[in-house]
Amino acid sequence: MESRPLVVVGAGVSGTAAAIEAARAGVQVTLIDENPIPASMAGLNVPQIFGQRFAYTLKSKALMLERVTADNEALAVAEAAGVDIQLGTCVWGAFRNSEFSRVLDGPQLGLADDERSWLIKYDRLIVAAGARDLGLAFAGWNLAGAMGANAADLLMNRYEASSSRCMVVMGTGNLGLNAARMALDKGIEVPAIVDVSSAVRGDEALRSELHNAGVQFYTSHTVRETVGNDGNMESVVLVEIDDSGKPVAGSDKVIAADTVCLAVGLVPNVELLSLLGCDLKFESELGGYVPDRDEWMRTSVDTVFVAGDAAGYHDGMVLDSEIARNQGRLAGIAAAESLGALDGKRALDRKADLQADAVDTVPNEVHSDWTRWLQSLAKAGGPDIFVCPCEEVTCAELLDLRPPRFLGWDSERDSRRSLRALAKGSPADPDQVKRLTRAGMGHCQGRLCREQVSMLLAHESGHDVAEVPFMSYRPPVRPLPLKVLWAHEETEQMRRDWPKWFSPTSPVLG
Amino acid sequence: MPMDSADVVVIGGGVSGLTSAYFLAKAGRDVVVVEKGIVGGEASGRNGGMVSERVDEPALIPMAVEAIKIWATLDAELGYPTEFTQKGRLQVAVTEEEMDDLYSERDVALRHGLSAAMVDPSEILDMLPGITGRTLGGLFFANGGHANSQLTVQALAWAFQDLGGRLYQNTAVTGLRVVDDRVTSVVTTGGAIAADMVVGAAGPQTALLAQLVGVHVPVAPARVEILATAPIERAFDIALVGNGLYGRQAASGNLLFGGGAHEWTDVVLTDDPGKPNTPLIRNIARRLAELLPGVADVPVIRSWGGVVEQAPDYMPIIDILECPSNYVVVTASAHGFGIAPATGKAVSDLVLYGETDIDISALRLSRFAGYGPDWREQRGWTPAPLRY
Repeated sequence: MESRPLVVVGAGVSGTAAAIEAARAGVQVTLIDENPIPASMAGLNVPQIFGQRFAYTLKSKALMLERVTADNEALAVAEAAGVDIQLGTCVWGAFRNSEFSRVLDGPQLGLADDERSWLIKYDRLIVAAGARDLGLAFAGWNLAGAMGANAADLLMNRYEASSSRCMVVMGTGNLGLNAARMALDKGIEVPAIVDVSSAVRGDEALRSELHNAGVQFYTSHTVRETVGNDGNMESVVLVEIDDSGKPVAGSDKVIAADTVCLAVGLVPNVELLSLLGCDLKFESELGGYVPDRDEWMRTSVDTVFVAGDAAGYHDGMVLDSEIARNQGRLAGIAAAESLGALDGKRALDRKADLQADAVDTVPNEVHSDWTRWLQSLAKAGGPDIFVCPCEEVTCAELLDLRPPRFLGWDSERDSRRSLRALAKGSPADPDQVKRLTRAGMGHCQGRLCREQVSMLLAHESGHDVAEVPFMSYRPPVRPLPLKVLWAHEETEQMRRDWPKWFSPTSPVLG
Repeated sequence: MPMDSADVVVIGGGVSGLTSAYFLAKAGRDVVVVEKGIVGGEASGRNGGMVSERVDEPALIPMAVEAIKIWATLDAELGYPTEFTQKGRLQVAVTEEEMDDLYSERDVALRHGLSAAMVDPSEILDMLPGITGRTLGGLFFANGGHANSQLTVQALAWAFQDLGGRLYQNTAVTGLRVVDDRVTSVVTTGGAIAADMVVGAAGPQTALLAQLVGVHVPVAPARVEILATAPIERAFDIALVGNGLYGRQAASGNLLFGGGAHEWTDVVLTDDPGKPNTPLIRNIARRLAELLPGVADVPVIRSWGGVVEQAPDYMPIIDILECPSNYVVVTASAHGFGIAPATGKAVSDLVLYGETDIDISALRLSRFAGYGPDWREQRGWTPAPLRY
């Protein structure tokens, strides 16, 4: 198996900065990024919510590689610094020994392209895997056209493969305002930006720029539904809400649009950190569960570092990419130092330079805003909105803990069971709710629904969302066809020694 | 405040503990189930869901036959769904050696009066339409089936509660008080519970729990892995074993298959053991695609690990101890899910009457009388040395 001194996962702003920094310190760096992702993955809304609004060109890997490279100038710098760059390669698994599993001869990553999978070993790992779109259910969000802010950014800018023509944006934070501006730049109409809050939340200069460009702001509004034809979004119905989040009768406004951009929030991609057993903690200000890390971007696992949105995301980072870049540089230095490529003094000096540049922003907690959105969408859209679109679990089914519809189960006893009853005393465990309702059991591993489920659990039990346990991730964290995950290099010995089940001759793995 | 008390305290909210608790509550006993996490949080909710007549362990056949009888009407009995389906179990052979094994298993099955028959490759093609690869033949058990392990444990827990049973989740046992050769109370993180009878159904923690009353139960925990694919159109209802894997297509359409090398591990009494997956899932994926080439394009969407316990002879232990005399030990050696209804009946019989009609003669603890505390080392059943 191949072994690399330093692997950086994610070639965004922070990952590329980390790779360059470590390479300049003399470390042999491998920089891996899943972009361009295969069209099949985009079709599954993994990792972002693409909402089927990608152009046919996404199917051309060569063209997409060209565009992804052209869009990221820092990649050329990294290449010049000697970084080995592997694009179109996803990291679907991360494995290391622990108290409970001791079979590996070193920490490993599972990689794959669209044809095959393989494993590599590493000495140090920097996870700069970015953030994903926050999923929020509304009536019709399973139509083609419901898209996330990061997906919109990817399609419009990195891939230049967006097929949207007219986009309504949900969220007036910097994330939403920025998405609207990018859309306008690409010639996409933006008739409306909606927010449940009573005032625009993001940057004033940006707001006024959009206002002058003719964008209408709908504050104290929510989305009642999106209406489509043949599975395709054609219009969005907005409705005014009162202070309690209830729709105001007769205030519906129908706006023609083929896309709704969900830009209420982003959630750090902690899948790999979770697989590696890095300590995670709940910090609403940073988007939910984030890695516990020090000022050197070191996680609780001494071979693993983190940088950028994956370390924690807040709305201020949208307009200031220096925050992520600085974190990347720090992680690159720290990793180089821990590999012995930089001595402590030089590392400290470099860190002092970076800290001088660092911008201090104090982010706000986000979950009360997200909860307001969720409640308003449920009140306006009704109990049958799909909280978990993969498994088509509605909000009502989740609250009633109803067995999956395909079982056709109906009993008087079952009707007495609900999330509220289950949650008596403490917030219900989302893993238990997942087992009963299948919410979070789909191919996205709950990336579309887990925040909503946590917020509903918290709400029903009267607890803070911070108290709802983390829903675990499992490899593969990208859906991979059996023939791709397939262990092509399996040894004869492995085949021969494969046990039937426990038996006197069955060997211990490893 | 008076101490909490119950007729019976069942330690462990897995499938063995919950079936025991259910039958005891049904018999009118006041029962508390103490579970350190959520019901079925460990192997009971993480297994393949297979329900079979275990021909590979002939001494278990009476238990399995009894269990399947109860499974057949369990949904109606409990009032909650388990997804149990009984369309048979097919074991296929892809090598001559496996074919020979199937013939001998068939002979054992027929000797025990089970409904088992060899099937040829064309019949296998009919049973797994459009997806199966080359097989040499198979052995079909008409009474086999499978269920959704996660729904089953919750169904049992709710039905138990409907009978007035009390379930304390997120409550770990930290001690057992013994007075005059009897356990008088179970000490938990939520306080002590006085008990007339105690059932130790603690899965991988069985040995640690029994140690609290000075009893040596030789079981060793081991970690095993399973993967799940995205749902596909209904392809088969049978439980399927072959190419080194076991699995099923769930009612939801997902294919769930596990197998491969296990890893001996250690657990602690009061906390969940870690259940990491390893790159072994790639080998499981390969074997599944070999077994069912028609699904090679279907994505794997997750995998999981589970920790099961094994006794030295790979068989369950169900027994009432001599000392402390009011303690029933139950541990399943990874057979727990399928035989759980029979286990529950047997345990509840032992608690109520001190004996049971179900043939558990091969499952008594006394068969391990010669096993000392270092049996795992002697057997080589210890975790590998830790290296990072």
